[in-house]
This record gives sequence, structure tokens and C-alpha cells, in this order.
Amino acid sequence: MVNIIQGNSMSMLYTTGVRWILVLLAGYILIKAIMSLLSTRATPEVWAYLHIENGDSLPITHWENVIGRSSSVDLRIKNRSISRNHSLLIRNKDGTWIYEDLDSMNGSLINGEEAQGREKIICEVGDEITMGSVSFTLFPISLEEQRNNKQMREMDKEPVSPWKILVALSIFQVLTVIQLIIGLGDRYIPMVAVCFFVLMIMMWFYVFGFRALGSRGFELEIIAFFLSTISLAVVASSVPDMVFKQLVTIVIGIIIFVSMCIFLRNLKRAKLIRPLLIILSVGILIVNLVFGTLKYGAVNWLEIGGISFQPSEIVKLAFIWIGAATLDELYQKRNLTIFMVFSGFCLASLAIMGDFGTASIYFVTFLMISFLRSGDFSRIALTLSGALLFGIMILRFKPYIADRFSAWGHVWEFADSLGYQQTRTMTASASGGLAGLGAGNGMLRHVAAADTDLVFGMVVEEWGIIIAALMVLCIITFLLFTNNSILAGRSTFYSIAACGATTILIFQTMLNVFGALDFFPLTGVTFPFVSHGGTSMAVSWGMLAFLKAADMRKNASLAISNRVKHIIVDRDIPEKDEVNIDA
Amino acid sequence: MLKVERRALTCLLLAVMLFFGLCYFVYKMAINGEEWTTFKGNMHIYTEGQLNRGSIYDRNGEILIKCTKEGILYSDNAEVRKSTVHTVGDIYGNIANGLLSRKKSDLIGYNFVNGIYSPDGSGNELYLTLDAKACEAAYNALGYNNGTVGVFNYETGEILCLVSKPTFDPMNVPSDPEDGIFYNKFVQSKMVPGSIFKLITAAAAIDNIKTLEEFSFDCDGSSEVEGDVINCTYAHGTVDFKEALSKSCNGAFGELTIELGADKMQDYVDKAGLTQSYNINGIKTEPSSFEFPTDNNVHLAWSGIGQHNDLVNPCAMMVYVGAIANGGEAVKPKLIKENKFSSDSLGSYLSKETADRIKSMMKNNVVETYGEDNYPGLDMYAKSGTAESGNGKEANAWFVGFIENQDHPYAFVVCVENGGSGSSSAGPVARKTLESLIK
Repeated sequence: MVNIIQGNSMSMLYTTGVRWILVLLAGYILIKAIMSLLSTRATPEVWAYLHIENGDSLPITHWENVIGRSSSVDLRIKNRSISRNHSLLIRNKDGTWIYEDLDSMNGSLINGEEAQGREKIICEVGDEITMGSVSFTLFPISLEEQRNNKQMREMDKEPVSPWKILVALSIFQVLTVIQLIIGLGDRYIPMVAVCFFVLMIMMWFYVFGFRALGSRGFELEIIAFFLSTISLAVVASSVPDMVFKQLVTIVIGIIIFVSMCIFLRNLKRAKLIRPLLIILSVGILIVNLVFGTLKYGAVNWLEIGGISFQPSEIVKLAFIWIGAATLDELYQKRNLTIFMVFSGFCLASLAIMGDFGTASIYFVTFLMISFLRSGDFSRIALTLSGALLFGIMILRFKPYIADRFSAWGHVWEFADSLGYQQTRTMTASASGGLAGLGAGNGMLRHVAAADTDLVFGMVVEEWGIIIAALMVLCIITFLLFTNNSILAGRSTFYSIAACGATTILIFQTMLNVFGALDFFPLTGVTFPFVSHGGTSMAVSWGMLAFLKAADMRKNASLAISNRVKHIIVDRDIPEKDEVNIDA
Repeated sequence: MLKVERRALTCLLLAVMLFFGLCYFVYKMAINGEEWTTFKGNMHIYTEGQLNRGSIYDRNGEILIKCTKEGILYSDNAEVRKSTVHTVGDIYGNIANGLLSRKKSDLIGYNFVNGIYSPDGSGNELYLTLDAKACEAAYNALGYNNGTVGVFNYETGEILCLVSKPTFDPMNVPSDPEDGIFYNKFVQSKMVPGSIFKLITAAAAIDNIKTLEEFSFDCDGSSEVEGDVINCTYAHGTVDFKEALSKSCNGAFGELTIELGADKMQDYVDKAGLTQSYNINGIKTEPSSFEFPTDNNVHLAWSGIGQHNDLVNPCAMMVYVGAIANGGEAVKPKLIKENKFSSDSLGSYLSKETADRIKSMMKNNVVETYGEDNYPGLDMYAKSGTAESGNGKEANAWFVGFIENQDHPYAFVVCVENGGSGSSSAGPVARKTLESLIK
């Protein structure tokens, strides 16, 4: 079979035509998935009403609400006796509500009883709440509204059906394998085809399995499967022997993804595990600092039993998990302090390791999460200036990193020294044109770190700028989708986590792409899902779980338990004719 | 909740940055693609530092250079190699102005859509307008002398012959190169033109001196201008305007130049296209330079005779005589064969009447002075020049002109360095080159 494909003058023609077919397939797959994700609109549901004594009613459209006089609260009451951020009203899974006074000036009364400072009080519909001099009653929504809610959710745009896209992706994978047989020539090993085949089977099993369990939205996973396919091809082109290992890390990534999705379904559980995550993260970073091995100028590798991995990559997941918080936690100093101290520890560890790229990712993510939590610009400005000093210190003491900065912006003047990698990346990119030279036909693979730090250039060279640009657009779509879906978010915990995860994905893409092309200094950061490297691949899939947990489309996400959704939506709603009887 | 939603919008900032960065890169890739792909670090197109794709042929399909992964192929004929090397260039890039350097992205087949992809990785074939046989003939005709020969079709602009000497064999690039072998005189040099410059002064005189019909000049071998002497080779006796050109009388042209004045002269060298740089398929020519003093009539007179500080680029001179042949309209010279038949006009350098009058005078030059018998089978129009090189060596011999021939409308420029007298030294080189093209 291999001989037939390779030893034929047809093989030349194959690449000529198929590289364009691959572009079309990739376009179909990714644009379908992207369009489906972006056409999502969040439907705010009314969960209850806050009835004011003079007759007005405020609809409560979130699970977690701040009540107060300020313009940025969820339930705004313009009365001078009410503080700017007066109290919290948080919905429980069973339909009851938790009321918490935020040390307001004039305090609160629940059914005439004073709410002690920061005490969580369970309320039910019909309860009377007094804030300052105003009294409210918690009203349930009418049956009709409940049914409307249900109907509105059913009118939501259905996620795109996965089957056609999966067929397209499978054809893409088969054509890629044939192209690799031609492109790799003597370097081809049968394991390459086996790995692509396993990935394809896995993809079908995944979609079949979770579809059978009721999930309907698969766009995020399909994009991840597509990027993983490109990743396998990139590894096959640069080091064919490593393809199997890359496949294993994809499998590990999917396992992490599914486990995290299921674990995140339960908010209480997700919150409870945080202290454990802190301990584990601190532990693994300390082990790294003590026993880590030096690679490419940074001591960020750990080898245990023949398997080497980057602890700082794995801790990224914990970092987001720990940074996320529910609305009531956002009003606790202690929670914020823990996150600040933990972030400081992570950044200090990375600075000691000399991993400037990862440190900057942590830092930007830290800024984003702390801004989401506090919205406080002055504190962020302070942190920023502190970090700047810190960065300058790192550059002073780590000449290896300072070197990278010195050629930045004019690599062509250092084409054979400090700018070697970037100039080759640009040359390779331009050589690839719109459709690339065909997988396995690149030259950039001869350059150090081609399949990791320079992977964007390698993809442009072998697959063309169209597919490479689509990859970047996928990452951007992740963010747009997240921003859209948190509008109907269950809890700030999921919203913050999803935003944190997309920040990491986007910033990492930025450092990778811009570094290879000399817009930024080359920092040695991986492209999510695509770069060669186990830890990076597995963690990318893990990040996806945070996005999945914020996906509030009906039955779309496996990170949201179907059972819970049914309780919310269908609870005690009689069929229509029953309502008539009641009426 | 609302606060967090609002704050999350700042994430969009990152997305916008990433998006515009991506767009900027695509833009840069489109703009710099040629430069990036031809970079020496591109392992696709270089094997062991040598270009591995692209080939250049002459107008008849004769191979000049062919780059393959297995190595470089050249013409079997050493004279063809030596006579075309300045146009083709060498693989080491010694000749910066050669097509191998200037057209590298065409040769490797780069374009933005396909990158450098080609099914068999052989790059592009470039067909030149050059005729290898004519280049070889011109090279041989120059003999032991250095110099340059250029011939082009004055109707289409196709350059058929371009030779510069001293030269070298691209198959054996000398490790200790003698001076000037990498220098393309036709394109890059500017030299003292001597009497061939009278073709420009004549055009200015025809257009501006109303009493030209009554013009006559008594030449006794030397004439005095403001106490200085303008020499002629011998006493030409009484000459009219036509005879002044055919006998190349310096005294007569000195007087005409002074009458025209410095501004008119500057005006006419500009009109003749001499002071501009031509772009021949990416190869840029050196503009000619002049100095027409307003306060020194002797220097002004000499500058109208092609001496003083006159420096002329051979290619520009060829385009000018081509314009005379073509009824005043100049045509842009080119080296790469195109599928279209139209030519790129550079506009009118002279009026039709002026061009025709100079043309008849150039015929008269051949009939009266150079001898039509010396150019059998060629309907020759020409002007010779003998330019003092001033370093004690023999003068540089020039011969510029064109032939009238419906199938072969060719204009030429020949410069034989230290060749002595213009027509007797450079004339035969022109004849031999043209003959190789016509038979």
C-alpha cells in the first residue's frame, strides 16, 4: 500500500490537488463549528421577582445577584437608605434563595429578624425582606412564565449537528495520512497511520457516547479534535517516532477533559476541592524547584519514572480553579488574599525556574482574574508596576532571556544568530503560501523547536496560511463564545473560570504566533492543542472543560448535569391542560 | 453577576490584539514574500548554498543556466557563458544586477497564493530576449579590447545583445578576480561619449536655431573661443550643418552649442532620456550626467561636443538612437520575453521631423564618411565617436546607430575601450554583431 502511494508519479499530483481540498475541508469544519458557537445567544430567564412595597417588581434574572443602589448591581433600588452594594441574593439548586447582608449601613431584616453581618440566611418565596427603610417580598414566577421560560429555551438555536462535520474531519484525517506517506518518504512509519486511525475512532466514540447520554453541543470538542489532528501531523512531519506519544497525550487530555466536566457539574464540590488543589500545586512546584531539569534555558521540567512533564503547565488548571469564586466569595477578603498569595507563589517559582514565557501567561491571567473579581483598576496598576520591576530584575539576572529581547524587532539583522529561528519561520511561512507545501514537505522542521515554539510557522509552511489563520480564529472564537455564554451564567465561579481559561488560551496563542514572527520576543510558549508536547496538549483539553462548564445552551454541555437542568426547567410545571383546570 | 459580565468584556481586548496581529502578519507576508522566500536560509530552494530550481534560456531556447537539485547546468559554449554572464548573473551573487539575483523570486516560482509550491520542485523557466549567438559574436568581435555592445529592437524594446567586457566564465569564477569583471558596463557605467553626443546637440539645433539652413562654419583645424582653442582632427574647410555632423566638426558644434546656451542643452539631455534611469526587468541603469556651465563658453562648447564633464550611459544612448530610428518615439528596453506583442512606449523623445532629419544626416554620415561598402547588406545609419579617455591611453571608440530593415529594426551602441578611432574600430564590431542577428 505504502509503496503504491509513494512510488508513483501520481503522488506529485496528489499533493498539488489535495492541499486545496484539505483547505476546503478545514474551512468547512471550522467555519461550521465557529458559526454554531457564535450564533448562540444567551436567554436570560426570570427566576423570581423582588416585589417592592410601593408596587414595583424587579425581575431576578441571575442565580447570583447583588442588591444595592449602585448602577453596576444586578438589582438596583434607588433609595438613600440602601447601601451601594447592600446584600447578596443567591439561588440554590432546589429553588430556595440565600440572603446575605454585605455589612450595609442600615442593615437588613428577614421576616422582621435582623440579618447579622455576613450571615447566610435561607429565604423562600413569600418571605419579606427589609433593606434600610424599604420592604420587599420575594415573589415566585407564575406558571405561565415558567412555561414561557421553558419554551424560550426550546426556541434557542440548536447547536449544529455534529455528523456531517465528523465525516468531513474523518476525510481530512485520511487525506492527511496519505499526504504524510508521500511527504515523509523514507521517514514514514506505519505507526503514523495507526495513530490517526485511533484518533478518528476515538472522536466518533466520544460523540456517539455523549450524544447517547443526551449531550447536543460538540463544537468545542470538534475544534479541539481538529487541532489535535494538525498536531499529530506536525509531530509526524518533524519526528515520526513521537507520534504515538503525542496520541497518548491526546487520550490523557480527553480523559482530563471529561473528568473535569463531570466534576465541575456540582458547584459545591468544585468549590470544596480548592484547598486540596492549592496544596498539590504548591507541592509540585516546590518539587520542580528542587528536582527540576534544565531544558532550553529554563528549569521547568520534571522527570518521574521516565516520563517528563512540565508542572507549571499543569498548575495552570489549578490556578484558574483557585482563582474562580462564587459571588459571595467575591465579597470575602480572605478568599481574595488566598488567591493573591497563591499567585505570588506561582510567579516567584516561575521566575526562579527562568520560564519567562509561562510567567507572563500566569501574570496576564492573574491580572484578568483579579480584575474580574474586583474591577479595581488602581490595584491592577500597582500590581503591574510591581511586575515591571520584577521583570526587569529577571532580565538582569537571566542573560539567556535578555538575549532574546536584544534581537527583538530586527531579527533579519541577526539572521544567523539570535534571529535564526524567526527568520526561518518567516521564510518557511512565505514558502507555504495559501495552501502550504503538503504535510511532511516542510523545511522548518530542521530548525530547533519547530514543532513547539515555531509551530505556527510550520503549519503555515505545510498547511498554508488559510488553515493556520483558521486555527487562530478558533481560539478567538473560544473567547467570543465564552463572553456570550456567561450572560446566562449560573455562577460567577463558572464565568470567571471560563474567562480565565480563554485568557490563557488566547494569550498563549499570541505569545506563540507573535514570538515566532518577531512581533514579540520569542518566549518559548506552545500553541494550545497544536504544539508538540504532552503536558501542553493535556492541559489544553483541561482548559476546554472550563469553557464547557459555562456553556448554558440547552442540553449542550456535558459539564452541566441533565438531571439538574430538568429540575430547574421542568420543576412542578403542569402540562398545559392541567393549568386550565387550575385556572 | 452583572459586574463580572461587564468586566469580562476586557478579555475582548486580547482577542482584538490577536486578530489584528494575525492580519498584520498576512499583510507582511504578502509584502515581503519575495524577500523572505529568496532568503539564503530557505532550504527548499538552496542545496548546499546553491540555487536548486529555475532556469534561464535565450530567445531561441538555448540554455544559459539551469539550476537543479543535482547541480547547475550551463551552456556548453564558453563564449556564450562569458558574453551573457552579466545579464544572467552568477550563482554566488557577485553580479548583483544579474537576473539570477533580480528575478530570483520568479525563477523559484514564488507567488503569494502558491508560495514556492511546484509539483516537481523545478521552479520557473525564464526566456530572455537575448540571442546567445549575437552575444557570442559581439564578444568575439571585441577581441582583446574591453568595452560594451548593446543591440535592441527599437520597435519592441527587446534587447538582443548585451555584452560587457572584461568578463569571466561563470563555471569557474576566478578566486582572484581582476578589476571590473563583475561590472555590467552597458547598465552600470557612464562614460565620456565624444562625438556621438553631437546627435543630441544636433536635435537641439534643429529645433531651436532658425538660421540653421544658412549655417556655415569655416574650419581651419582649430577655432578660438574666448581665448581658448577648440581642436578638430583636421581642417574641415567650410562646412554646412549636415557636413558638420558627417565630418564631426568640433568647431562648428562648439559654435552651435554656445548659440543654444546651457539651459537648452540641459533641456535636451533630459528630453533625450539620458539623465533618467531605466528599469530593465528589475535591472536599473545608471543615469547619465552632464554639466553645462553658464559662465564659461569654452567648457560649454566642449560639453556640446561630448567632452568636458559629459558622462553617458551606453543603454540610454542606445534607447535615444532607437527613438531617432522610430520617428522620435522611444521604447522601453527589456530583457525578458513576454507573450504580448505591444511595446512599452516611453513617449516622444524628438518630434517626427527632427528625428527624420537626424536620421537622414546619419545616413549621410555613413555615405560620406564611414563608407557604405564597409557595411554590406546593412542599411546603416550611424554616428561615431572618439572619446579622449585622458589617461594617456588610446581613446575610446564609439559607434551608435541603427539599421533600416523591416524584419530587423535594430538600434545599437558599441564602445571599444582604448580602440582609437570610432568608426574604424567600433564599426566592425557593430557590423559583425548585426550580421549574426540578420542571417
